[in-house]
Amino acid sequence: MAPLPLSVSFDGDITALLLAVDDQDTAEAVGRQIAAHVVGRRVRDRGTPIRVRHDGRVLPPGQRVGEAGVRPLDHVEAFFDEP
Amino acid sequence: MPRLSRSDWYDLSRDMNWTLRYARAEEVFPEELSGSHGVTAEAWERWDEPYKIGYREYVHNQVTKDTTTYSLKNAVSRSKLFDRLDPGWKSVILAHYGAITMPEYLAAIGEARMARFGRSAAWRNTATFGALDEMRHGQIQAFFTYGLLGKEPRADWAHKAYHTDNWVVLAARSLFDDMFVANDAVSMALQLTFTLETGFTNLQFLAMAADAMDVGDLEFGALISSIQTDEARHSQQGEPTIRVLIDNGHKEWGQFLIDHMFWRAWRVFAVLTGLSMDYYTPLESRRMSFKEFIEEWVVEQFAQQFRDFGLDYPWYWDDFRRELSWFHHGIHLGVWTYRPTVWWNPDAGVSAAERDWLEEKYPGWNDTFGRNWDVIQDNLRNGDVAATLPQTLPMMCNLCQIPIIRAAGVLAGALDSPAPLRHTYKGKTYLFCSEPCKWIFTRRPERFAGHRSLIDRFLGGDIDPPDLGGVLAYMGLSEAEQGGDATGYAWATR
Repeated sequence: MAPLPLSVSFDGDITALLLAVDDQDTAEAVGRQIAAHVVGRRVRDRGTPIRVRHDGRVLPPGQRVGEAGVRPLDHVEAFFDEP
Repeated sequence: MPRLSRSDWYDLSRDMNWTLRYARAEEVFPEELSGSHGVTAEAWERWDEPYKIGYREYVHNQVTKDTTTYSLKNAVSRSKLFDRLDPGWKSVILAHYGAITMPEYLAAIGEARMARFGRSAAWRNTATFGALDEMRHGQIQAFFTYGLLGKEPRADWAHKAYHTDNWVVLAARSLFDDMFVANDAVSMALQLTFTLETGFTNLQFLAMAADAMDVGDLEFGALISSIQTDEARHSQQGEPTIRVLIDNGHKEWGQFLIDHMFWRAWRVFAVLTGLSMDYYTPLESRRMSFKEFIEEWVVEQFAQQFRDFGLDYPWYWDDFRRELSWFHHGIHLGVWTYRPTVWWNPDAGVSAAERDWLEEKYPGWNDTFGRNWDVIQDNLRNGDVAATLPQTLPMMCNLCQIPIIRAAGVLAGALDSPAPLRHTYKGKTYLFCSEPCKWIFTRRPERFAGHRSLIDRFLGGDIDPPDLGGVLAYMGLSEAEQGGDATGYAWATR
């Protein structure tokens, strides 16, 4: 359990945001946290699952971000999975 | 007493050089302050300003300008002119006054440095007038805003802004420290007077004065015109300085200085002027879009000037041209969203008629940024203002100190990735919004590494409590000073 400050963005939004997560959070949980700042605020909800991408790789939803090699101030991008 | 024409006495009167006997030239003109790159004193003698003026003429001109401008202010201040101004236009002038008034004073430091450490006597003479100009600009703008305090308390930010750590001020202070407060005389001539003033502000002030008259803001129009005529004169210090550098084998250094500052000037210009021209200025008063303005006045006219010197376009020219279609739209969405963090009321500027104008000027706007505004508009129509306000900070560029909005570039189809660019220096990782910002940093990291971004300050524990309330307090914004939507969301509910 360690705080992990990240640069994050959501596909279709305009800016990178600062988001403090926990390194034990799963990719799915991080995706939800990113969406909370963007979806329904500046990007319309598509109702499809949210995935996250780090360093060009889409992370499995259940993988803990700390174990996926996500480091402080790395950029994580969330996006709606295609139905 | 014989009356001589100016050409008979001018060269003699401005040449205050003398032969140094008690100190060496490098002690009198240290490289850190003169930046003359070893160009000889004889070579600097060829420095010749295009615009010539004597002290008596200067004083006469300035008194005339002040008398006219102050008289107009006195007349207008007794009217209800300010009350009748469009709310978006009030935002234009409040943003301008806060961001520009104190840097005018700081520019006087820069001009004074050229007046002391410029290697040519003619240049020092010209820069002395420049320092007097900038003092006048600081004073007149502080005084004009003082007159607005009864009607708009946030006019106080003309004086207050640079005594705070507001994010806009962090960005502008970083730029102006780089450009003139902490710069040598030669670099300043190229970066302040040539790149910023000749390239951007001189033209912008002309356009702003015309817009001010068009919206009925006679006071601001007269003020800006009065400043612009000074700028047109003192901005001409750049050209002879470039000429001396090029003639003495330092073209590459001149190109670097211009490439460096053109990008930084563009960044801040897009934030202040881009938003003003395309979103805050009332629709009926818009003469051209921000992109059209930049393409006509900067891309064609200014760029022609540096090509005349045999200089190349900056290496990032294509990226710059592409940014004209998206960067300020993204910044506008960001500034509006983070409206409590600025000292003016951002005007959304996206009513149905304004959207038509944006689509015409920026084809595709509705399908990109328009979609973000659709979601915002829905929330406002549902009475959910809270959903339009932020709950965390945007990432900030470690060079320009402006939010990293590469995602907007992806949205507009201009960039491939929203991820900030990275560079590690002495064990610390720095994040950047763009390749040119990263390039500027990595060319001289020791110059920029110590400037802590808002994110560095937040993560470093400077902001307490570490939430948005703490951020607003850190930025010096009382509740009454925080920005809101300029029209009270009227655009969204019509």
